[in-house]
Amino acid sequence: MKIIELKNVNKVYNSTEVKVHAVNDVTLDFAEAEFAAIVGPSGSGKTTLLNMIGGLDMPTSGEIIIDGTNLSKLKSSQLIDFRLNNIGFVFQSYNLVPVLTAKENVEFIMTLQKWPEKEKDERTLELLKAVGLGDRINSRPTKLSGGQQQRVAVARALASRPKFVLADEPTANLDSKAATTLLEIMERLNHESKITFIFSTHDPRVVKMAHRVITLEDGKVVSDVKLE
Amino acid sequence: MIGSIAWKNVWRNKKRSLVVIVAVTLGIIAGVLLIGIMEGWTKQRLHNAVNNEVSHIQIHNNEYIKNEEINLTVRNTDEIIRGLDSLREISGWVKRTKIIAMANTAWANTGVIIYGVDAEKEKRVTEIYKEIVPEGGRYLDNQSPGDILISDKTAELLKLKQYIVSDSTMEELRKEKVPGTVLIKLEALKDKRFRSPKDFREALQQEFNRKELDRYGLLITEKALDYRIRSKVQITISDKEGTPIQGIFRVCGIYKTTNSGFDQTTVFVKDKELANLYGGDEILTHEISILLNDIDDAGIVREKLSRISGDNSVMTWKELAPDAAMMNDFMILYYFIFIGIIMLALAFGIINTMLMAILERTKELGMLMAIGMNHKRIFKMIMLETIFLTVVGAVAGILSGWAITEALGKTGIHFSSWGEGFEAIGFAARVYPVVTPGFFVFTTIMVIATAIISSIWPARKALKLNPVEALRTE
Repeated sequence: MKIIELKNVNKVYNSTEVKVHAVNDVTLDFAEAEFAAIVGPSGSGKTTLLNMIGGLDMPTSGEIIIDGTNLSKLKSSQLIDFRLNNIGFVFQSYNLVPVLTAKENVEFIMTLQKWPEKEKDERTLELLKAVGLGDRINSRPTKLSGGQQQRVAVARALASRPKFVLADEPTANLDSKAATTLLEIMERLNHESKITFIFSTHDPRVVKMAHRVITLEDGKVVSDVKLE
Repeated sequence: MIGSIAWKNVWRNKKRSLVVIVAVTLGIIAGVLLIGIMEGWTKQRLHNAVNNEVSHIQIHNNEYIKNEEINLTVRNTDEIIRGLDSLREISGWVKRTKIIAMANTAWANTGVIIYGVDAEKEKRVTEIYKEIVPEGGRYLDNQSPGDILISDKTAELLKLKQYIVSDSTMEELRKEKVPGTVLIKLEALKDKRFRSPKDFREALQQEFNRKELDRYGLLITEKALDYRIRSKVQITISDKEGTPIQGIFRVCGIYKTTNSGFDQTTVFVKDKELANLYGGDEILTHEISILLNDIDDAGIVREKLSRISGDNSVMTWKELAPDAAMMNDFMILYYFIFIGIIMLALAFGIINTMLMAILERTKELGMLMAIGMNHKRIFKMIMLETIFLTVVGAVAGILSGWAITEALGKTGIHFSSWGEGFEAIGFAARVYPVVTPGFFVFTTIMVIATAIISSIWPARKALKLNPVEALRTE
């Protein structure tokens, strides 16, 4: 079942002198429970494409439809609520709230969704245990390693029970061991929860674990390979 | 949870937040003290105006208001007195004879207004009897003939106030633990007579250095002060035909209120003795002064009295002491002006701090918007952060200000250098700061309003962030 559809998506940045075609006529779709990597050299349009799928940026032309909702038709405030309830984000530099503990960072998104206290607590603990941080729930981000912080970020991304998780270069700042642990956790959660994971990367370790690899060059999809 | 994040955010950059908090604290303390002094002065001025000068209501012949002639007495006095006795709102009343006079001593003279009063009835209306200065004799006594009660200021003008460093002065200073070195220097002034505070001050300045004067000057002046009680004062008035008449009175006591303008012109004698001087068959009533149980009844009682007073003039304290009334009525305006100026200055500091905080957290705010924190919640978080930052300082400021005001309210603040100037315009040289609960409520509202207003600009700045661009910042 398709949960994300991109139809002839273009993104053109108008600088004063030259037009930059960051994403060029991309047509793609993603099904439920996919574990897909978008790869390509720097400047190939990976992050721009992820930002548009995540509703953070709008295409210059074309349509992005998430589970039947055309993102272009949503107002700014509707888009924020849509992101809250449908999309999980994992950022390259973790981006946790430094004044909150691991537990508070994870449950924050559920607070925004107005979950009941008890269910919120249960889900937070369940997720932190799932990412191997059951014993660090009260630690602030400054007391956690990079890998641990990124695992908290993954738990936060999954907290709202999103339809899919977008991860922009999630292993870029991690050492080899931490990157492998993170990917194994993400793959397991993808398998168990059937949540689609889409990540941009140029890390060969990530590419190796992906079930589908989409290659971008100059904003165009040059290959789309499903691996089993 | 947004409140919890906002509170934690306040303490992210402790030094920066503390600078703002300390600024707010000091600003509020300054505001509380300023208002405390203003309120203290206003209350003291109001108390002095009502309890020593004009009471709550006065009745005069309406022509007397324009032209204070001896013939212009209150009409239908008996009927008015019956009315006064029947009104429950009235605490006391006194009839007064009030004549412009010249007072002379062997050394000086000055113009005064002489009040002829019944000493006992006057005590029920004014508190002049409580204002007798130390070593300043006593209040008028119905049993002692020829008494005149004058003020400290009149005593000075009539040269009845002198400064003498006598053996007993030295002894008293020794008891007050004044050092021997100071007493040795003071020997140079011993037994010399100074007839004005200015002369005595100049003599002290020649003998003592600045430090000694600051520390012991006031005490030496107080102890050396000597009033010439029982001195003769000749009073000259004009009788009904305009013929000057003289009478001799003896100073029974010296009073001092906080209004030297009033003190300078006001002397009291007994009404019967004044009547003997102007030679009338009866005591002339130029003024009926009335004290009420509650100042707020002044308007109602005035209406009632106007109905029975015919064409006499009935005036409330607000018309008789418009300066005190204006200060009292405008107190809320002073609150606005003082606290408003302080808050305006603080608002710039708060805005600056919050803008810096937003700038530093651009990436984090971008992330929060990306994961689904809407504009309303972002605005709320920044507004709460600003309110917390301001309120912490305000609470510290209000508590410290309250404690300082309470302490100063007991000891008073003496504006020694400017005291004479203040007293000349009716304000006490020693002010007892007072801050009412209403002021604290007002300040709290102003602080929260300032915090909310100050948060608008930083919050709008945060809301204008584009999540994609914000996430790219380092």
